[in-house]
Amino acid sequence: MAKYQAMTQEWLDAWKQKMVESKEYKEIAKNWEGSVSIIVNPDPEKGIPETLYLFTDYWHGDVGDFFICDKAKAESAKFIMSGDYARWKQVARKEIDSTKALMQGKLKLKGDLTYIVRNIKSVNKVIDLLCEIETVWPDEA
Amino acid sequence: MAYDRELSFVYFGPTRVVFGVGASRDVEMEMAGLGCRRALVVTDPGVMKAGLVDGVLKSLGDKCAGLFSDVPQDTGMGVVNLAADYAREKAADCVVSVGGGSVIDTGKGICILLTEGGGLESFEGIQLLTRPQTPHIVIPTTAGTGSEVTCMAVILDERKGQKILIIEYFNAPRIAILDPRMTEKLPPLLTASTGMDAMTHAVEALQSVQREPIADGLAMQAIRLLYRHLPVCTQNGGDLAARGQVQLAATMAGWAFGNAMVGLTHAMAHSLGAVARVPHGIANGILLPHVMAFNLEDAAESYAMVAEALGVRERGMVESEAAEAAVASIRSFLERIGHPVRLSEVAVKEEDLAKAATMSLSDGAIVNNPRPVMDEQEVLAVFRAAF
Repeated sequence: MAKYQAMTQEWLDAWKQKMVESKEYKEIAKNWEGSVSIIVNPDPEKGIPETLYLFTDYWHGDVGDFFICDKAKAESAKFIMSGDYARWKQVARKEIDSTKALMQGKLKLKGDLTYIVRNIKSVNKVIDLLCEIETVWPDEA
Repeated sequence: MAYDRELSFVYFGPTRVVFGVGASRDVEMEMAGLGCRRALVVTDPGVMKAGLVDGVLKSLGDKCAGLFSDVPQDTGMGVVNLAADYAREKAADCVVSVGGGSVIDTGKGICILLTEGGGLESFEGIQLLTRPQTPHIVIPTTAGTGSEVTCMAVILDERKGQKILIIEYFNAPRIAILDPRMTEKLPPLLTASTGMDAMTHAVEALQSVQREPIADGLAMQAIRLLYRHLPVCTQNGGDLAARGQVQLAATMAGWAFGNAMVGLTHAMAHSLGAVARVPHGIANGILLPHVMAFNLEDAAESYAMVAEALGVRERGMVESEAAEAAVASIRSFLERIGHPVRLSEVAVKEEDLAKAATMSLSDGAIVNNPRPVMDEQEVLAVFRAAF
């Protein structure tokens, strides 16, 4: 299986491809509308010299564009999630539950929590598919 | 097994608690201890009418920069924005909330806006803040919400017609002053329903998928205190010793659920409040035993702990028997304190139930329920059982 450098365009493409191929995701996410941006706080010691902005877009089970963006684009998303690199790595490895991480202040969310809860199965599936990607993390490369 | 090696949690409880009959008179000294000089006092018309703010205003003297007494039963963003404008106009440097959950949550919203500026609509989310907020002193006039020690606020977004949840560690109240005299005049039904709100916080914290040992300990003690002292308060509201123990139980339950979160009972009660205007504590109280019955297999261990705290776990009972005893005990406790036991008693119409069931699936509390709930028909069945 191919390996992808975390938080690069190739990694986002691989993630998107996983989702496009997932019939289960398409069914579960049929009610989801809107984009989610992921903001990764800088951590130079772990190979993240500056803030990373990732944009992902979803529409009724279809998958829109996934790309690295600038701050303004990230802040235009319906949901904005931010956190330290190490926290995102824990989420992507399923070492912490994303909902729990939000409640405990390990990640931040700007947006309508009730919408996320109503679609929690979609959120969990997106993370499950991310976890299936063989990822090379900057601090482990 | 209660906890395994995967146990991992954050416990957060920074609020200083000042307890005692007459403690609300110390508000000026507590405020001075925070380095504050100008307080905005926030309350509602009912609390004003009951005269509960008088002593607070007297204690504050000229350190009261202004009084905002227009908080409605279910506070909204418009109210918070208006009150924050008033607080800015009065150059307030702290907020003193005197009231129940709606007043306290209004105070929390004002604190954010005094520090960050803007309107509350910009702060919908979780853990967005990055610095301590304006100091907040809370003097509860009910014993139930636990909001005096949590970092959560529930505020109506009038534009969307739905309540939003704001969770911010940086916005937990600095001080909670628990003065039993502030709850002395609560009528029996309000005493019972706010007490059942606290009981529900404790039981749901114990059963939560986010439960942890510190919250469990607080929840267990809250249940013990409520079981012993709440019936005394409903029968003799002037018993200040019992009132104080119930206040402490509500605060402990607040710490417990503020960390471990709540579950399906709250999700259903929030929805029923929106659809049929059932007061939160009453909805929680009626629904709690029915939700416990629904969760029984998935939360037997937790409910056995509830049975221990209630004193109904008899020697030789296996876990499942103790869990069933806990459910039965909560049912009989409702009757003992004069609390309604059926939704039909509190003006809920059968046609409200389906809408409330659908809404429950969108409530943040539901993700912490021990039995996963994905189907609104399951929720509807619980509503019907409670009807």
